[in-house]
Amino acid sequence: MNLSRRAFLVFYRNLVSYKRFVLPTLVGSLVQPVFYLVTFGIGMGAYMGAFGGRGYLFFLVPGVLVSSVMMSSTFECLYGAFVKMIHEKLYDSLIATPVSAEDAVAGDILWGAFRGLISGGLMMIVAFFMGVFPVSFPAGLLLCVLMVLIGIMFGSLAMIVTSYAPNFDFFNYYTELVITPMLFFSGVFFPLDNFPAWMKTLAQFLPLTHAVEVSRAVYSGVYGKGLLLNLGFVLALTLLAARFGLGRMKKRLIK
Amino acid sequence: MRTIIRAEHLVKNYGEFAAVKDISFEIREGECFGFLGPNGAGKTTTVRMIHCVSPITSGTILVNGLPADVDNRKIKAATGVIPQEMTLDTDLTVFENMMVFSKFFDIPRREARKRTDELIAFVELEAKRDNKISELSTGMKRRLLVARALLNKPALIIADEPTTGLDPQARHLIWQRLRLLKNQGTTLILTTQYMEEAQQLCDRLVVMYEGKILKEGSPRQLIDDEIGREVVEIRIEAAEDARLIADLGPLARGHERAGDTLFFYCRDGRAIQKKLVEMDLPNTVYRPATLEDVFLKLTGRSLVE
Repeated sequence: MNLSRRAFLVFYRNLVSYKRFVLPTLVGSLVQPVFYLVTFGIGMGAYMGAFGGRGYLFFLVPGVLVSSVMMSSTFECLYGAFVKMIHEKLYDSLIATPVSAEDAVAGDILWGAFRGLISGGLMMIVAFFMGVFPVSFPAGLLLCVLMVLIGIMFGSLAMIVTSYAPNFDFFNYYTELVITPMLFFSGVFFPLDNFPAWMKTLAQFLPLTHAVEVSRAVYSGVYGKGLLLNLGFVLALTLLAARFGLGRMKKRLIK
Repeated sequence: MRTIIRAEHLVKNYGEFAAVKDISFEIREGECFGFLGPNGAGKTTTVRMIHCVSPITSGTILVNGLPADVDNRKIKAATGVIPQEMTLDTDLTVFENMMVFSKFFDIPRREARKRTDELIAFVELEAKRDNKISELSTGMKRRLLVARALLNKPALIIADEPTTGLDPQARHLIWQRLRLLKNQGTTLILTTQYMEEAQQLCDRLVVMYEGKILKEGSPRQLIDDEIGREVVEIRIEAAEDARLIADLGPLARGHERAGDTLFFYCRDGRAIQKKLVEMDLPNTVYRPATLEDVFLKLTGRSLVE
């Protein structure tokens, strides 16, 4: 592993280029989650009664928030990284400088996490105006840190997929067979309590489940005893995925 | 002159495929060293190993005494690479491309700005300073790649087919700039499949073919050794070969049939020219020998796929 502070230079490069895309990407990352909030939260929520003593929106917001972090970081590290690798040959020019392959990829994972943070942050603001917000201001800040961590986790997982991808179509396997199902089996829209036991077990292996739990705890201020386990899962998977993703991408970039 | 790069028994395999097969060479400080060869000869693979973006299968390369391996940031920091592919940052303007790239070399902002302005002028892109990359022509992009490769004031520049696909004006501008850099003392490594380019720029070169080095020397010396000074081409049916070789062969150093043409290589073509006039053959060409003749003689005149 040849990782250095230069990863942040690659992040900076993305920031410079981002200013041209700010508006379309903001709209892009905001529309879908807001759509979920309005249709599920307000529309369906009206029939749902109270969830643990509070409205459905209080249940829904923390989940949709981390889902949007997942979506943004995943797409950035799938499509964004693939375009840079294959179409723009950007990585080739990066690794010809003192930037190492690991720096370049790590910079893009960080970038994916940052895009996730923006999506999640926007959600937080939208939810705020709908009357749903974290239990305290420090809790809100803590959530921002957690969003970065969750973004790094999903970005790294996506990088692993990218390192194997022969073309764009390959990403459909991941988005349709992993990401989309995960959205529905991780307790984002409804609690897992009424699922059959095997499904609940399966859910424990989905990274989004743990991310949702963490987010929900910060929003509600109820820190259950399972929370450490959730955090531990997220941390462990982040380290593992980052390490493997960087290694795989290095193999692909340096031939 | 000091040796700046020494490669010994260099081998590169991609799985089963051997791209570079046990080559050794030395490059001296301040010279322009060329790798000449057709597509797939192993030129790009070789230079990629020199500038540390491709792992070496076996053998060694020392660049300024440092072993070239993929984690060596020192070599990369002192090398400028003009890549074969257009690896410009298409999301950024000309100016931004330079400024962002200078960050990767830890060039302080003020200094980067100064060098960027100088280099944009050096490759005559002042008018395009704030244009996006998509608004540039191929020649302009290539010039920007040259400017970008100079940001870190490299002692070694690697130009990988720097003029492929360019029009003559753009090509000559690149050649002039590369010569200027060489005159300032920069060591230059050039890969090319254009003989004219090699002849224009290289002090010494190796001819590569199928992963091996076939010949090494200065362009002049290679032409002299392999061909001579002049070449006579006679476009004639192969059936006439025996007669022509009997008549002209003794006056030439060698001959070769390729497709519809019979080639005679000679040191002094006057005798053969006189004979040709006597024979009154149609479709004959009499011309100075070039690196292209060397190249084709060494690698075969048939199509390389």
